[in-house]
Amino acid sequence: MTVAATASETPAEGTVGVGTLLRVLWRSFFFLSATNFERMQNVGFAYAMLPALRRLYRGRALDEAVERHLAFFNSHPYMAGALLGAAVRIEEDIAAGRRQPMEVEAFKRCMMGPFAAVGDSFFWASLRPFGAAWAVAGVLSGVIWAPLAFLLLYNLFHVAVRGYGLFAGHRSAEAIIQRIERIELVRLADRLHIATGLFLGATGALFADRAMRSPVGIGDGLEPFLLATLTVICVLCIKRKMAMPLLLYLFTGGCIALMAGLNALFPLID
Amino acid sequence: MEPATVAIDLALIAACGGLVGLDRRGAFQAMISQPLVAVPLLGALLGQLEVGLALGATLQLLWMSSMLFGANTPPNETLASMVAGGMVLLYGKHIATPDIAVMTIGILLAVPLGPLGRAIDVRLERLNLALSQRALAAVAESRVEIIDRLPWIALGRVFSIHAALIALGSGVGLIVLAAVHPLLDGAVLVAVATAGMYLVPALGLAVAFSLIRRRRGIALGLLTFVAVAIMLDHGGAG
Repeated sequence: MTVAATASETPAEGTVGVGTLLRVLWRSFFFLSATNFERMQNVGFAYAMLPALRRLYRGRALDEAVERHLAFFNSHPYMAGALLGAAVRIEEDIAAGRRQPMEVEAFKRCMMGPFAAVGDSFFWASLRPFGAAWAVAGVLSGVIWAPLAFLLLYNLFHVAVRGYGLFAGHRSAEAIIQRIERIELVRLADRLHIATGLFLGATGALFADRAMRSPVGIGDGLEPFLLATLTVICVLCIKRKMAMPLLLYLFTGGCIALMAGLNALFPLID
Repeated sequence: MEPATVAIDLALIAACGGLVGLDRRGAFQAMISQPLVAVPLLGALLGQLEVGLALGATLQLLWMSSMLFGANTPPNETLASMVAGGMVLLYGKHIATPDIAVMTIGILLAVPLGPLGRAIDVRLERLNLALSQRALAAVAESRVEIIDRLPWIALGRVFSIHAALIALGSGVGLIVLAAVHPLLDGAVLVAVATAGMYLVPALGLAVAFSLIRRRRGIALGLLTFVAVAIMLDHGGAG
Protein backbone atom coordinates (compact mmCIF):
# COMPACT_ATOMS: atom_id res chain seq x y z
CA MET A 1 0.00 0.00 0.00
CA THR A 2 1.39 3.42 -0.90
CA VAL A 3 1.80 6.20 1.59
CA ALA A 4 -0.56 8.44 -0.37
CA ALA A 5 -3.24 5.76 -0.38
CA THR A 6 -2.79 5.15 3.35
CA ALA A 7 -2.98 8.83 4.06
CA SER A 8 -6.06 9.32 1.89
CA GLU A 9 -7.96 6.45 3.57
CA THR A 10 -7.28 7.71 7.07
CA PRO A 11 -6.67 11.42 7.08
CA ALA A 12 -4.13 12.70 9.59
CA GLU A 13 -5.47 14.56 12.61
CA GLY A 14 -2.65 17.07 12.35
CA THR A 15 0.68 17.26 14.08
CA VAL A 16 1.44 15.71 17.45
CA GLY A 17 1.02 18.28 20.24
CA VAL A 18 2.93 18.84 23.47
CA GLY A 19 0.36 16.87 25.49
CA THR A 20 0.82 13.79 23.31
CA LEU A 21 4.60 14.17 23.41
CA LEU A 22 4.43 14.25 27.20
CA ARG A 23 2.45 11.01 27.10
CA VAL A 24 5.15 9.51 24.86
CA LEU A 25 7.76 10.73 27.36
CA TRP A 26 5.90 9.12 30.28
CA ARG A 27 5.60 5.84 28.40
CA SER A 28 9.31 5.95 27.52
CA PHE A 29 10.02 5.26 31.22
CA PHE A 30 8.65 1.73 30.62
CA PHE A 31 10.84 1.23 27.57
CA LEU A 32 12.71 -1.83 28.94
CA SER A 33 9.66 -3.49 30.48
CA ALA A 34 9.07 -6.20 27.87
CA THR A 35 12.65 -6.68 26.62
CA ASN A 36 12.99 -10.02 24.82
CA PHE A 37 15.82 -11.87 23.08
CA GLU A 38 14.29 -11.84 19.60
CA ARG A 39 13.29 -8.21 19.06
CA MET A 40 14.70 -6.66 22.26
CA GLN A 41 12.78 -3.46 23.15
CA ASN A 42 10.26 -3.55 20.29
CA VAL A 43 7.19 -3.73 22.57
CA GLY A 44 8.50 -0.86 24.72
CA PHE A 45 9.13 1.30 21.64
CA ALA A 46 5.71 0.59 20.10
CA TYR A 47 4.02 1.15 23.49
CA ALA A 48 5.71 4.56 23.82
CA MET A 49 4.85 5.54 20.22
CA LEU A 50 1.15 4.58 20.48
CA PRO A 51 -0.26 7.92 21.76
CA ALA A 52 1.43 9.74 18.85
CA LEU A 53 0.46 7.12 16.26
CA ARG A 54 -3.18 7.27 17.41
CA ARG A 55 -3.15 11.01 16.71
CA LEU A 56 -1.83 10.46 13.22
CA TYR A 57 -3.57 7.34 11.93
CA ARG A 58 -6.83 5.42 12.06
CA GLY A 59 -7.81 1.88 11.07
CA ARG A 60 -5.45 -0.14 8.89
CA ALA A 61 -2.96 2.72 8.62
CA LEU A 62 -2.61 2.68 12.41
CA ASP A 63 -1.96 -1.08 12.37
CA GLU A 64 0.73 -0.62 9.71
CA ALA A 65 2.34 2.22 11.64
CA VAL A 66 2.39 0.21 14.87
CA GLU A 67 3.85 -2.78 13.02
CA ARG A 68 6.72 -0.58 11.80
CA HIS A 69 7.65 0.03 15.42
CA LEU A 70 7.43 -3.61 16.46
CA ALA A 71 10.57 -4.42 14.48
CA PHE A 72 13.85 -5.23 16.28
CA PHE A 73 15.00 -2.31 18.39
CA ASN A 74 17.83 -2.16 20.91
CA SER A 75 19.14 1.07 22.37
CA HIS A 76 19.83 2.83 25.65
CA PRO A 77 16.60 3.61 27.56
CA TYR A 78 17.53 7.24 28.27
CA MET A 79 18.73 7.96 24.72
CA ALA A 80 15.60 6.35 23.30
CA GLY A 81 13.79 9.62 24.10
CA ALA A 82 15.64 11.32 21.24
CA LEU A 83 14.89 8.44 18.87
CA LEU A 84 11.22 8.44 19.89
CA GLY A 85 10.95 12.20 19.28
CA ALA A 86 12.57 11.92 15.86
CA ALA A 87 10.42 8.89 14.98
CA VAL A 88 7.25 10.84 15.90
CA ARG A 89 8.37 13.67 13.61
CA ILE A 90 9.09 11.29 10.72
CA GLU A 91 5.70 9.60 11.30
CA GLU A 92 4.03 13.03 11.02
CA ASP A 93 5.69 13.44 7.63
CA ILE A 94 4.68 9.93 6.56
CA ALA A 95 1.07 10.57 7.61
CA ALA A 96 1.10 13.78 5.59
CA GLY A 97 2.49 11.89 2.56
CA ARG A 98 5.82 13.74 2.56
CA ARG A 99 7.94 10.63 3.25
CA GLN A 100 7.98 6.88 2.70
CA PRO A 101 7.22 4.52 5.68
CA MET A 102 10.57 2.81 5.20
CA GLU A 103 12.38 6.03 6.20
CA VAL A 104 11.41 5.75 9.87
CA GLU A 105 12.54 2.12 9.97
CA ALA A 106 15.86 3.02 8.30
CA PHE A 107 16.38 5.89 10.73
CA LYS A 108 15.81 3.69 13.76
CA ARG A 109 18.00 0.90 12.39
CA CYS A 110 20.90 3.28 11.73
CA MET A 111 20.67 5.28 14.93
CA MET A 112 19.87 2.78 17.69
CA GLY A 113 23.45 1.43 17.83
CA PRO A 114 25.33 4.75 18.07
CA PHE A 115 22.81 6.16 20.56
CA ALA A 116 23.10 2.99 22.67
CA ALA A 117 26.90 3.30 22.65
CA VAL A 118 26.77 6.93 23.81
CA GLY A 119 24.18 6.14 26.51
CA ASP A 120 26.03 3.06 27.78
CA SER A 121 29.33 4.88 27.85
CA PHE A 122 28.04 8.04 29.54
CA PHE A 123 25.29 6.87 31.88
CA TRP A 124 26.13 3.28 32.79
CA ALA A 125 29.93 3.37 32.63
CA SER A 126 30.66 6.96 33.73
CA LEU A 127 27.91 8.91 35.49
CA ARG A 128 26.67 5.99 37.59
CA PRO A 129 30.15 4.98 38.92
CA PHE A 130 31.00 8.64 39.50
CA GLY A 131 27.80 9.35 41.42
CA ALA A 132 28.08 6.10 43.36
CA ALA A 133 31.77 6.68 44.27
CA TRP A 134 30.94 10.20 45.45
CA ALA A 135 27.97 8.96 47.49
CA VAL A 136 29.91 6.03 49.04
CA ALA A 137 32.62 8.48 50.14
CA GLY A 138 29.85 10.69 51.54
CA VAL A 139 28.25 7.83 53.50
CA LEU A 140 31.63 6.82 54.96
CA SER A 141 32.19 10.45 56.01
CA GLY A 142 28.88 10.39 57.87
CA VAL A 143 26.74 12.23 55.30
CA ILE A 144 23.52 10.24 55.59
CA TRP A 145 21.76 12.07 52.75
CA ALA A 146 24.52 11.17 50.25
CA PRO A 147 22.43 8.40 48.57
CA LEU A 148 19.57 10.88 48.14
CA ALA A 149 21.96 13.43 46.62
CA PHE A 150 23.26 10.70 44.27
CA LEU A 151 19.69 10.00 43.14
CA LEU A 152 19.00 13.68 42.54
CA LEU A 153 22.25 14.31 40.66
CA TYR A 154 21.88 11.23 38.50
CA ASN A 155 18.22 11.76 37.68
CA LEU A 156 18.77 15.42 36.89
CA PHE A 157 20.91 14.27 33.94
CA HIS A 158 18.73 11.28 33.20
CA VAL A 159 15.38 13.07 32.98
CA ALA A 160 16.94 16.09 31.25
CA VAL A 161 18.45 13.90 28.50
CA ARG A 162 15.19 11.94 28.08
CA GLY A 163 13.04 15.08 27.94
CA TYR A 164 15.42 17.21 25.88
CA GLY A 165 16.02 14.29 23.52
CA LEU A 166 12.32 13.73 22.92
CA PHE A 167 11.43 17.37 22.22
CA ALA A 168 14.62 18.11 20.28
CA GLY A 169 14.13 14.91 18.30
CA HIS A 170 10.59 15.97 17.47
CA ARG A 171 11.78 19.39 16.34
CA SER A 172 14.72 18.26 14.26
CA ALA A 173 14.06 14.63 13.15
CA GLU A 174 17.34 13.20 11.75
CA ALA A 175 19.24 16.35 12.77
CA ILE A 176 18.93 15.15 16.40
CA ILE A 177 22.29 13.43 15.82
CA GLN A 178 24.05 16.81 15.57
CA ARG A 179 22.18 18.13 18.61
CA ILE A 180 23.21 15.15 20.75
CA GLU A 181 26.78 15.42 19.43
CA ARG A 182 26.87 19.03 20.62
CA ILE A 183 26.31 17.95 24.25
CA GLU A 184 29.70 16.13 24.03
CA LEU A 185 28.66 13.32 26.33
CA VAL A 186 31.70 11.22 25.38
CA ARG A 187 34.15 13.96 26.44
CA LEU A 188 32.18 14.51 29.64
CA ALA A 189 32.35 10.75 30.30
CA ASP A 190 36.18 10.89 30.16
CA ARG A 191 36.22 13.67 32.75
CA LEU A 192 33.85 11.75 34.99
CA HIS A 193 36.21 8.75 34.90
CA ILE A 194 39.01 10.92 36.26
CA ALA A 195 36.77 12.38 38.98
CA THR A 196 35.59 8.85 39.90
CA GLY A 197 39.21 7.91 40.63
CA LEU A 198 39.46 10.86 43.01
CA PHE A 199 36.40 9.80 45.03
CA LEU A 200 37.42 6.14 45.05
CA GLY A 201 40.80 7.14 46.50
CA ALA A 202 39.03 9.06 49.26
CA THR A 203 36.70 6.07 49.82
CA GLY A 204 39.72 3.77 50.27
CA ALA A 205 41.25 6.09 52.88
CA LEU A 206 37.93 6.31 54.72
CA PHE A 207 37.64 2.50 54.78
CA ALA A 208 41.19 2.34 56.21
CA ASP A 209 40.25 4.92 58.84
CA ARG A 210 37.19 2.84 59.80
CA ALA A 211 39.43 -0.23 60.14
CA MET A 212 41.86 1.71 62.40
CA ARG A 213 39.05 2.53 64.81
CA SER A 214 37.62 -1.01 64.83
CA PRO A 215 38.47 -3.86 67.26
CA VAL A 216 40.18 -5.70 64.38
CA GLY A 217 42.56 -2.84 63.63
CA ILE A 218 46.12 -4.14 63.21
CA GLY A 219 47.74 -1.10 64.84
CA ASP A 220 50.82 1.01 64.04
CA GLY A 221 48.84 2.81 61.31
CA LEU A 222 49.38 -0.08 58.91
CA GLU A 223 45.69 -0.31 57.90
CA PRO A 224 45.99 1.98 54.82
CA PHE A 225 48.95 -0.08 53.52
CA LEU A 226 47.10 -3.35 54.06
CA LEU A 227 43.96 -2.05 52.36
CA ALA A 228 45.94 -0.58 49.44
CA THR A 229 47.91 -3.82 48.97
CA LEU A 230 44.76 -5.93 49.03
CA THR A 231 43.09 -3.58 46.54
CA VAL A 232 46.03 -3.87 44.13
CA ILE A 233 45.98 -7.69 44.43
CA CYS A 234 42.22 -7.71 43.77
CA VAL A 235 42.62 -5.38 40.76
CA LEU A 236 45.25 -7.73 39.30
CA CYS A 237 42.92 -10.71 39.81
CA ILE A 238 40.01 -8.86 38.19
CA LYS A 239 42.24 -7.94 35.23
CA ARG A 240 42.82 -11.71 34.86
CA LYS A 241 39.04 -12.08 34.45
CA MET A 242 38.41 -13.58 37.90
CA ALA A 243 34.82 -12.94 38.96
CA MET A 244 34.02 -10.93 42.10
CA PRO A 245 32.03 -13.74 43.85
CA LEU A 246 34.90 -16.19 43.31
CA LEU A 247 37.46 -13.73 44.71
CA LEU A 248 35.22 -12.96 47.67
CA TYR A 249 34.90 -16.62 48.66
CA LEU A 250 38.55 -17.40 47.89
CA PHE A 251 39.98 -14.53 49.94
CA THR A 252 37.53 -14.85 52.84
CA GLY A 253 38.08 -18.62 52.97
CA GLY A 254 41.84 -18.05 52.90
CA CYS A 255 41.60 -15.44 55.67
CA ILE A 256 39.55 -17.79 57.90
CA ALA A 257 41.88 -20.74 57.24
CA LEU A 258 44.99 -18.60 57.94
CA MET A 259 43.68 -17.10 61.17
CA ALA A 260 42.22 -20.38 62.46
CA GLY A 261 45.51 -22.14 61.63
CA LEU A 262 47.64 -19.47 63.31
CA ASN A 263 45.38 -19.50 66.35
CA ALA A 264 45.72 -23.28 66.59
CA LEU A 265 49.53 -22.96 66.57
CA PHE A 266 49.81 -19.84 68.73
CA PRO A 267 46.55 -19.55 70.71
CA LEU A 268 45.77 -15.83 71.17
CA ILE A 269 42.01 -15.74 70.69
CA ASP A 270 39.60 -17.72 72.92
CA MET B 1 11.78 -12.69 68.05
CA GLU B 2 8.03 -12.26 67.43
CA PRO B 3 6.92 -14.31 64.38
CA ALA B 4 4.08 -11.86 63.63
CA THR B 5 6.44 -8.86 63.61
CA VAL B 6 8.93 -10.73 61.43
CA ALA B 7 6.09 -11.59 59.02
CA ILE B 8 5.08 -7.92 58.81
CA ASP B 9 8.72 -6.95 58.18
CA LEU B 10 9.01 -9.62 55.47
CA ALA B 11 5.89 -8.19 53.78
CA LEU B 12 7.54 -4.76 53.89
CA ILE B 13 10.76 -6.20 52.45
CA ALA B 14 8.73 -7.93 49.70
CA ALA B 15 6.96 -4.69 48.71
CA CYS B 16 10.20 -2.69 48.75
CA GLY B 17 12.05 -5.49 46.89
CA GLY B 18 9.39 -5.66 44.20
CA LEU B 19 9.55 -1.92 43.62
CA VAL B 20 13.34 -1.70 43.41
CA GLY B 21 13.28 -4.76 41.11
CA LEU B 22 10.95 -2.83 38.80
CA ASP B 23 13.31 0.14 38.78
CA ARG B 24 16.26 -2.00 37.78
CA ARG B 25 14.98 -3.47 34.55
CA GLY B 26 11.28 -2.79 34.10
CA ALA B 27 10.54 0.87 34.65
CA PHE B 28 12.26 4.24 35.18
CA GLN B 29 15.87 3.06 35.72
CA ALA B 30 16.11 5.91 38.24
CA MET B 31 18.87 4.03 40.16
CA ILE B 32 16.66 3.39 43.20
CA SER B 33 17.66 -0.24 42.61
CA GLN B 34 21.35 0.53 43.21
CA PRO B 35 22.55 -1.10 46.47
CA LEU B 36 23.59 2.26 47.88
CA VAL B 37 20.02 3.53 47.61
CA ALA B 38 17.93 0.36 47.93
CA VAL B 39 19.56 -1.06 51.09
CA PRO B 40 19.47 2.22 53.10
CA LEU B 41 15.85 2.64 51.95
CA LEU B 42 15.07 -0.78 53.37
CA GLY B 43 17.08 0.15 56.47
CA ALA B 44 14.99 3.30 56.96
CA LEU B 45 11.76 1.28 56.59
CA LEU B 46 12.96 -1.22 59.22
CA GLY B 47 14.32 1.47 61.55
CA GLN B 48 17.97 0.52 60.87
CA LEU B 49 19.15 3.36 58.60
CA GLU B 50 22.77 3.37 59.79
CA VAL B 51 23.19 -0.37 59.23
CA GLY B 52 21.56 0.03 55.81
CA LEU B 53 23.96 2.83 54.88
CA ALA B 54 27.08 0.91 55.98
CA LEU B 55 26.00 -2.25 54.16
CA GLY B 56 24.72 -0.40 51.08
CA ALA B 57 28.04 1.43 50.63
CA THR B 58 30.05 -1.82 50.61
CA LEU B 59 27.56 -3.64 48.37
CA GLN B 60 27.53 -0.73 45.91
CA LEU B 61 31.28 -1.08 45.36
CA LEU B 62 31.15 -4.89 45.10
CA TRP B 63 28.42 -4.80 42.42
CA MET B 64 29.60 -1.65 40.62
CA SER B 65 30.49 -3.54 37.42
CA SER B 66 27.02 -5.02 37.04
CA MET B 67 25.72 -2.99 34.09
CA LEU B 68 23.09 -3.44 31.39
CA PHE B 69 25.40 -3.05 28.37
CA GLY B 70 23.66 -3.65 25.04
CA ALA B 71 21.99 -7.06 24.96
CA ASN B 72 24.10 -8.42 27.84
CA THR B 73 22.34 -9.67 30.98
CA PRO B 74 24.52 -8.91 34.03
CA PRO B 75 24.25 -10.50 37.51
CA ASN B 76 21.24 -9.17 39.39
CA GLU B 77 22.94 -6.90 41.93
CA THR B 78 19.59 -5.68 43.25
CA LEU B 79 18.45 -9.17 44.23
CA ALA B 80 21.78 -10.06 45.90
CA SER B 81 22.00 -6.71 47.74
CA MET B 82 18.39 -6.63 48.90
CA VAL B 83 18.61 -10.18 50.27
CA ALA B 84 21.88 -9.37 52.08
CA GLY B 85 20.31 -6.16 53.39
CA GLY B 86 17.05 -7.87 54.31
CA MET B 87 18.67 -10.62 56.40
CA VAL B 88 21.15 -8.33 58.18
CA LEU B 89 18.52 -5.66 58.90
CA LEU B 90 16.08 -8.27 60.24
CA TYR B 91 18.89 -9.67 62.38
CA GLY B 92 19.55 -6.17 63.69
CA LYS B 93 15.90 -5.52 64.45
CA HIS B 94 14.97 -8.87 66.00
CA ILE B 95 18.16 -10.45 67.39
CA ALA B 96 21.09 -8.13 68.08
CA THR B 97 22.87 -5.11 66.63
CA PRO B 98 24.73 -6.47 63.58
CA ASP B 99 28.50 -6.14 63.80
CA ILE B 100 30.93 -6.32 60.86
CA ALA B 101 31.04 -10.15 61.09
CA VAL B 102 27.24 -10.43 60.72
CA MET B 103 27.31 -8.03 57.75
CA THR B 104 30.11 -10.04 56.12
CA ILE B 105 28.26 -13.34 56.58
CA GLY B 106 25.15 -11.69 55.12
CA ILE B 107 27.11 -10.54 52.05
CA LEU B 108 28.71 -14.00 51.64
CA LEU B 109 25.33 -15.74 51.89
CA ALA B 110 23.64 -13.47 49.35
CA VAL B 111 26.40 -13.13 46.71
CA PRO B 112 25.33 -16.28 44.76
CA LEU B 113 21.93 -14.63 44.21
CA GLY B 114 23.58 -12.24 41.75
CA PRO B 115 24.30 -14.97 39.15
CA LEU B 116 21.03 -16.72 40.07
CA GLY B 117 19.18 -13.46 39.44
CA ARG B 118 20.83 -13.28 36.01
CA ALA B 119 19.40 -16.71 35.17
CA ILE B 120 15.96 -15.48 36.28
CA ASP B 121 16.32 -12.32 34.16
CA VAL B 122 17.14 -14.50 31.14
CA ARG B 123 14.03 -16.58 31.84
CA LEU B 124 11.92 -13.42 32.12
CA GLU B 125 13.24 -12.19 28.76
CA ARG B 126 12.24 -15.54 27.24
CA LEU B 127 8.74 -15.10 28.67
CA ASN B 128 8.64 -11.61 27.17
CA LEU B 129 9.09 -13.16 23.75
CA ALA B 130 5.46 -14.33 24.00
CA LEU B 131 4.46 -10.70 24.68
CA SER B 132 6.28 -9.56 21.54
CA GLN B 133 4.50 -12.25 19.52
CA ARG B 134 1.19 -11.21 21.09
CA ALA B 135 1.84 -7.60 20.03
CA LEU B 136 2.43 -8.70 16.43
CA ALA B 137 -0.74 -10.83 16.53
CA ALA B 138 -2.69 -7.87 17.96
CA VAL B 139 -1.60 -5.72 15.02
CA ALA B 140 -2.61 -8.45 12.56
CA GLU B 141 -6.06 -8.58 14.21
CA SER B 142 -6.36 -4.75 14.21
CA ARG B 143 -6.47 -4.70 18.02
CA VAL B 144 -3.54 -2.42 18.86
CA GLU B 145 -5.12 -1.53 22.22
CA ILE B 146 -3.76 -4.90 23.46
CA ILE B 147 -0.24 -3.40 23.26
CA ASP B 148 -1.24 -0.92 25.98
CA ARG B 149 -1.49 -3.81 28.43
CA LEU B 150 1.61 -5.83 27.51
CA PRO B 151 4.29 -3.85 29.42
CA TRP B 152 2.15 -4.09 32.55
CA ILE B 153 2.06 -7.88 32.30
CA ALA B 154 5.86 -7.91 32.09
CA LEU B 155 6.15 -5.45 34.99
CA GLY B 156 3.82 -7.60 37.09
CA ARG B 157 6.11 -10.59 36.59
CA VAL B 158 9.25 -8.61 37.50
CA PHE B 159 7.59 -7.20 40.63
CA SER B 160 6.25 -10.58 41.79
CA ILE B 161 9.50 -12.47 41.26
CA HIS B 162 11.64 -9.85 42.97
CA ALA B 163 9.19 -9.45 45.87
CA ALA B 164 8.95 -13.23 46.42
CA LEU B 165 12.68 -13.97 46.11
CA ILE B 166 13.83 -11.04 48.24
CA ALA B 167 11.35 -11.83 51.04
CA LEU B 168 12.14 -15.56 50.89
CA GLY B 169 15.90 -14.98 50.75
CA SER B 170 15.78 -12.50 53.65
CA GLY B 171 13.69 -14.87 55.79
CA VAL B 172 15.85 -17.92 55.10
CA GLY B 173 18.98 -15.78 55.47
CA LEU B 174 17.84 -14.56 58.88
CA ILE B 175 17.39 -18.15 60.07
CA VAL B 176 20.83 -19.18 58.72
CA LEU B 177 22.49 -16.06 60.14
CA ALA B 178 20.92 -16.63 63.57
CA ALA B 179 22.01 -20.28 63.50
CA VAL B 180 25.55 -19.81 62.12
CA HIS B 181 26.73 -16.73 64.03
CA PRO B 182 26.67 -18.29 67.55
CA LEU B 183 28.44 -21.42 66.24
CA LEU B 184 31.51 -19.50 65.08
CA ASP B 185 34.35 -19.67 67.57
CA GLY B 186 36.57 -16.74 68.50
CA ALA B 187 39.27 -17.12 65.85
CA VAL B 188 36.80 -17.71 62.99
CA LEU B 189 34.66 -14.77 64.08
CA VAL B 190 37.73 -12.49 64.20
CA ALA B 191 38.76 -13.81 60.76
CA VAL B 192 35.31 -13.06 59.31
CA ALA B 193 35.34 -9.59 60.89
CA THR B 194 38.86 -8.98 59.50
CA ALA B 195 37.72 -10.09 56.06
CA GLY B 196 34.74 -7.73 56.34
CA MET B 197 36.92 -4.85 57.45
CA TYR B 198 39.73 -5.22 54.88
CA LEU B 199 39.07 -7.79 52.14
CA VAL B 200 35.49 -6.91 51.27
CA PRO B 201 36.15 -3.15 50.93
CA ALA B 202 39.41 -3.85 49.04
CA LEU B 203 37.57 -6.11 46.60
CA GLY B 204 34.82 -3.50 46.20
CA LEU B 205 37.39 -0.78 45.52
CA ALA B 206 39.17 -3.07 43.03
CA VAL B 207 35.89 -3.70 41.16
CA ALA B 208 35.21 0.05 41.04
CA PHE B 209 38.79 0.99 40.05
CA SER B 210 38.77 -1.58 37.26
CA LEU B 211 35.92 0.38 35.63
CA ILE B 212 38.04 3.51 35.24
CA ARG B 213 39.20 3.80 31.65
CA ARG B 214 41.58 6.74 32.14
CA ARG B 215 44.98 6.14 33.72
CA ARG B 216 44.89 9.68 35.07
CA GLY B 217 41.82 8.70 37.08
CA ILE B 218 43.67 5.79 38.70
CA ALA B 219 46.73 7.99 39.46
CA LEU B 220 44.47 10.64 40.96
CA GLY B 221 42.77 7.94 43.04
CA LEU B 222 46.11 6.82 44.44
CA LEU B 223 47.13 10.38 45.30
CA THR B 224 43.79 11.09 46.94
CA PHE B 225 44.05 7.87 48.94
CA VAL B 226 47.45 8.92 50.34
CA ALA B 227 46.37 12.53 50.97
CA VAL B 228 43.10 11.64 52.73
CA ALA B 229 44.79 8.87 54.75
CA ILE B 230 47.42 11.36 55.99
CA MET B 231 44.73 13.95 56.76
CA LEU B 232 42.64 11.43 58.70
CA ASP B 233 45.71 10.14 60.54
CA HIS B 234 46.64 13.66 61.61
CA GLY B 235 43.03 14.46 62.48
CA GLY B 236 42.81 11.28 64.56
CA ALA B 237 46.16 11.97 66.25
CA GLY B 238 45.12 15.55 66.94
